[in-house]
Amino acid sequence: MSEVAASHPPLETLLRDVKPNSGHLLKALHLVKEAYGYIPPESVPVVARKLGLTPAAVFGCISFYSELPTTPPPKVEVSWCSGPACRLSGGDEIRRIFEAVLGVPMEGATPDGRVGLHVAQCDGSCCAAPMVWINGRVHGPLTLADAVRIARGLRDGTFEVREEWGHGELR
Amino acid sequence: MASFAELQAAAREQWTAWVNPPRPQLRVGLTTCGKAAGALDTYAALNEAIVEQAAGVDLVRTACLGLCYSEPNVTVVFPDGTAVLHGPVRPANVPDLLQAIRGGRPLERLAVAALSGATTEIEPVDSLDIWKIQVRRLMERCGLQDPESIDHYLATGGYEGLVRALGMKAEEIIQETLDSGLWGRGGAAFPTGRKWDFLRTARGEPKFLVCNADEGDPGAFVNRTLMEGDPHGIIEGMIIAARATGAIRGYIYIRDEYPLDVYRMERAVEQARERGLLGENILGSGTSLDLVVVRGAGSYLCGEETGLISSIQDSRGMPRIRPPFPAQSGLFHKPTNVNNVESYANVPLILRHGVAWYREQGTQRNAGTKMFSLSGRLQRVCVVEVPFGFNTLELLNVAGGGPLPGHQFKGLQSGGPLGGLLPASEISIPLEPEPYRERDVLMGSGGLIALDDTNCIVDLCQWVEWFAEDESCSRCTTCRIGTQRLVEILRRFQSGEGRVSDLERIPLLADTLRWSNCVHGQAAPTAVRNALRYFREELLDHIQRKRCEAGVCRGLIRFEVSPAHARDREVEGAAAACPVDAFRQSEQGWRIDQAACIRCGVCHEVAHEGVRKLAAFPETLPAGTAATPPGQVAAAAGR
Repeated sequence: MSEVAASHPPLETLLRDVKPNSGHLLKALHLVKEAYGYIPPESVPVVARKLGLTPAAVFGCISFYSELPTTPPPKVEVSWCSGPACRLSGGDEIRRIFEAVLGVPMEGATPDGRVGLHVAQCDGSCCAAPMVWINGRVHGPLTLADAVRIARGLRDGTFEVREEWGHGELR
Repeated sequence: MASFAELQAAAREQWTAWVNPPRPQLRVGLTTCGKAAGALDTYAALNEAIVEQAAGVDLVRTACLGLCYSEPNVTVVFPDGTAVLHGPVRPANVPDLLQAIRGGRPLERLAVAALSGATTEIEPVDSLDIWKIQVRRLMERCGLQDPESIDHYLATGGYEGLVRALGMKAEEIIQETLDSGLWGRGGAAFPTGRKWDFLRTARGEPKFLVCNADEGDPGAFVNRTLMEGDPHGIIEGMIIAARATGAIRGYIYIRDEYPLDVYRMERAVEQARERGLLGENILGSGTSLDLVVVRGAGSYLCGEETGLISSIQDSRGMPRIRPPFPAQSGLFHKPTNVNNVESYANVPLILRHGVAWYREQGTQRNAGTKMFSLSGRLQRVCVVEVPFGFNTLELLNVAGGGPLPGHQFKGLQSGGPLGGLLPASEISIPLEPEPYRERDVLMGSGGLIALDDTNCIVDLCQWVEWFAEDESCSRCTTCRIGTQRLVEILRRFQSGEGRVSDLERIPLLADTLRWSNCVHGQAAPTAVRNALRYFREELLDHIQRKRCEAGVCRGLIRFEVSPAHARDREVEGAAAACPVDAFRQSEQGWRIDQAACIRCGVCHEVAHEGVRKLAAFPETLPAGTAATPPGQVAAAAGR
């Protein structure tokens, strides 16, 4: 394994409970994604061996899903909600604003890898429509002017990104 | 292992301390929608203030009552049992709220309603219009209990249906489920009891149960509300299904977008296992069931039952041809039963209260209640539960608060993107599958999205087909290419390059798509077909007159600085806001460089007077046939 492995738990330890023929593939991929932030391609043969599958089968599965990236995530990820409630209230215009200001298409990232755009699915937070998630935190309802302001702030590094806390922190 | 009576007795003690807390209790509604509205910030601010002031109150969690529009919600409960719902409570409101509570009173300014102990100032919750129309059975506990406490569920009649079922034979449970009239809430509306009987009589061991919690339809969030608000109802339903079918293992497949649901369902499964309600020989009955929560990874198709099964068993979540049906050969090639979250959640109610009680609500054809999530161009986003047969328009007007001020409903999108479209003239119909089906639309799993006069049907159809294309598994050529072709055609309409011959091509494509193997491809053209039937004029407007009356389609609109306002400060603000710097300044003032403009409309939003939204093309029809003169696009003004 490359330098990726150095700062993370070894895959063997991470995947110790993963067994073949038990429906563990998604669980294994989620474990890898949680530890590394993405699915490093080097991890695919290891996952495959643990599950008794071919690397091609594992990779085929990874490429089927939209939430299993094989490249490191950008430092700031803007997930644009593609849902209908957002769309009906200016969501598509908001997408164009983010793309234009940051100069990257959806699923792309700025050349320095700092800010990326991702197409996300509706999770029913429609009371905040139209909205985007920035590193998991909901921003909405957005006016078009809000979208311009946020996108420019992200481009210039002046927008304060506040991480959403996980539900575990409530205990 | 403790007996059920002992479990209940222990749980009731916990519940008493919840409804009559020794000191004031603040319950923050923590769900996905609550978080979106800022509930975690409110929670943090409350926590900080309470510690700082040693306020002598307790801060706890609850779930969503379905009143998403009033989130973040805080329910204040006093020792005498008075419980008042507040919302929206922002961090800035925390000092006032705590001060009111110290004085032994709720904060009237932010009070939504009294959940118990109403006063003259604060009306009881059942006097709210949105509450009055509801029959809350599935949602009975949502927002009133701690969703992460099995004791709250046990103390309020939970698992009583299971105890009754454990004393019955499998055939008796199935008969009762059939008699209740319960059918699958996922959209296909197949009788649940019959499905269970297929599994019971299927050959092969072991048998599996699957709970389809891949609520992939954008705009539908009823399953999420249940999983985040009352997870044990679903588990109890699955154990009863295990008793009725002989299944010994169950999988709850939750979509990737619902991490909180994964967390709460896993916790609920753990708690049920600790109490001996899951595992070997449940409550000494001989029935065994263990449950596993599986998290998806972002795929709409995994909501199709065979796609979901593929996804669990280590492969791409691609649907396959049926037969064999899952009851014959499903998960790991063993007999399997797949039901929706809401279907399972109905079962404990039937077993606990009986068939007669269950059938008191709803209609002859469709017994019981159904949850709906309302979103889109409405005053209020919410989740409600009403009996089958309730009028759709009335639901949008009463629960949803009607259209936004100054606007009218244009239509309704129901049953997910592939469910179809209805015009406003057709939506005063009962909420039942049949009236929808008669209109070539699917009522579906509960998502209702309202459209108003600022929305363009062509744009919505293009979104639907984009979604269908994006989520197609690409196995069937019909679906893979058919959806692409529909997107292309609709994009042509939007850019002013539509052809009249396209209108004949759409039904042809829709017919071809019917030959796809799964319902994804088969239903993909529903919205476009509905648009041809109900919104033909609007389509023709796009094609022949190159007009988008709603002012949405970017190829058919342009923005211009009004000459009279070209030097206004307002327009200067619009120029500053333009994301592509398309504003040019000259002696005459500001103007917009049309080649640079991306038609996002932020200038029109900032300078409503100074920048006008106009039709992109001059009037092309011969004089006398034009419905409206060229110029300002009227309906778009409110956007």
